[in-house]
Amino acid sequence: MRYTFTELGQGLRRNISMHLAVVLTLFVSLTLVGMGVLLNQQATKAADHWGSELQITVWLCKDRDQNAACVGEVTDAQKQAITDVVEENPEVAGYHFESKQEAFDKLKETYAPGKFDGPNSVITADDMPESLWIQLKDPEKYEGITSAVIGLDGVSGIRDMRDTLAPIYGAINALQWGALGTALFLVVAALLLVANTIRLAAFARRREIGIMRLVGASTIYITLPFLLEALVTAVLGVALAAGALAAFEKFGIQDRIQGELTFVPWIGWPEVQYAAVAIAILGPLLTLVPTLVLTRKYLKV
Amino acid sequence: MIRFEKVSKTYPGQGHSALDNVSIDVEKGEFVFLVGASGSGKSTALRLVLREARPTEGRVYVAGKEINRLAGWKVPRLRRQIGTVFQDFRLLPNKTVTENVAFALQVIGKSRSEIVKVVPETLELVGLEGKGERMPDELSGGEQQRVAIARAFVNRPMILIADEPTGNLDPATSVGIMKLLDRINRTGTTVVMATHDHGVVDQMRKRVVELSAGQVVRDQAQGGYGFSH
Repeated sequence: MRYTFTELGQGLRRNISMHLAVVLTLFVSLTLVGMGVLLNQQATKAADHWGSELQITVWLCKDRDQNAACVGEVTDAQKQAITDVVEENPEVAGYHFESKQEAFDKLKETYAPGKFDGPNSVITADDMPESLWIQLKDPEKYEGITSAVIGLDGVSGIRDMRDTLAPIYGAINALQWGALGTALFLVVAALLLVANTIRLAAFARRREIGIMRLVGASTIYITLPFLLEALVTAVLGVALAAGALAAFEKFGIQDRIQGELTFVPWIGWPEVQYAAVAIAILGPLLTLVPTLVLTRKYLKV
Repeated sequence: MIRFEKVSKTYPGQGHSALDNVSIDVEKGEFVFLVGASGSGKSTALRLVLREARPTEGRVYVAGKEINRLAGWKVPRLRRQIGTVFQDFRLLPNKTVTENVAFALQVIGKSRSEIVKVVPETLELVGLEGKGERMPDELSGGEQQRVAIARAFVNRPMILIADEPTGNLDPATSVGIMKLLDRINRTGTTVVMATHDHGVVDQMRKRVVELSAGQVVRDQAQGGYGFSH
């Protein structure tokens, strides 16, 4: 054991530049992989959030509706027919009915309170349409309900929030795959660097290795310093990458974005932890697997 | 202790055999010279004993076991029973004499207390008492070879294999090395020594196996290097 650790220390010092190259490449590639994982989780989080609030709004006809399909104010019978269709649809989790007054109150709240008060206001509650707010069971399944409702009498139109959200999801996806794609190239670079490092190390130690084989040291014993070196570089790479992800969470998200962009829930420490675990598994694999393969080749007993 | 049964060895890409239908039987405690010109197959025979190579045909037995059938992970255990000495000593230049000898025990997992006890004993046996802290490049060729022999013998192997151990030494120094190998042989260790060194072989009067073009052309008890008529 003493020999193994002495040998480990010597090995790390002897090839310090190669080991640094491996550590830095691992650091950057693992950070990118971690960012990919975080973006993926951010997308999931956003989709869960917007998805859970994802509602399809069915505007009902009002008096003098701009939509030509509307022949006048929606009747109670038409409303009943529409809610029947919505209730029976398997894609619908629930719905609520929004009255003219509720719509008017929302409008006042969003814009200037008091602006639409008084007897001679530009808009009154009567100018607002009634609407049905439908909650979907699965945000991905909405075509069934929209097509079922759109042609019904008394329906003026349907608003689907997905149109707004699609570009945001698209951007997150693109970033995620960009990060993972770049990481892939760096991972290949890291593998090649590890392979070169082992070749150099095996060459530098060829005398010792020759004697060890001759006097009957076991393969594990001969391989162990190489594996430990690989492990040390992996641990350093993972630690740096995990630190970078933590710094991104703290200084990027918590201290900046979270305060400024509040319309969406942001990833927190549990997500960073998840990403850190992912790279903590990937990092050692990236160095240990090539080490095992190559030491079998170079150090064959 | 070592038995070759109709052993042939052909290296890939070479037309002729390095060893051609060789049968040799070496008893426990014997001292055997393996002589012959360069390329006669001496080194190949030694490599087969160490399982550095496998025979193309035939069987090699060491201590009763057919070693060409040995699983790869058992090879280290075989090699712990065989000490090996080379013409070029193969010492680690950055380690002292003591460390060089101790290295052979460390890497097979011997305890520190055993190493501390056995290494000085072995250095004394090979005549290097008091030189344990020297570096290899501070020693003469003969002394370096003694270190190599100490390293090969420190684990008290059953067999000592020496490949031209006097090849780099002058005749006077060679005599000392041969005396040392003889002493090791007297402890019951089987010694197989490949050599070109006429003087050494003639002087020792031990069993001589002569190889030529991969075949045994002579196997003579108490022989000399050349044919004794």
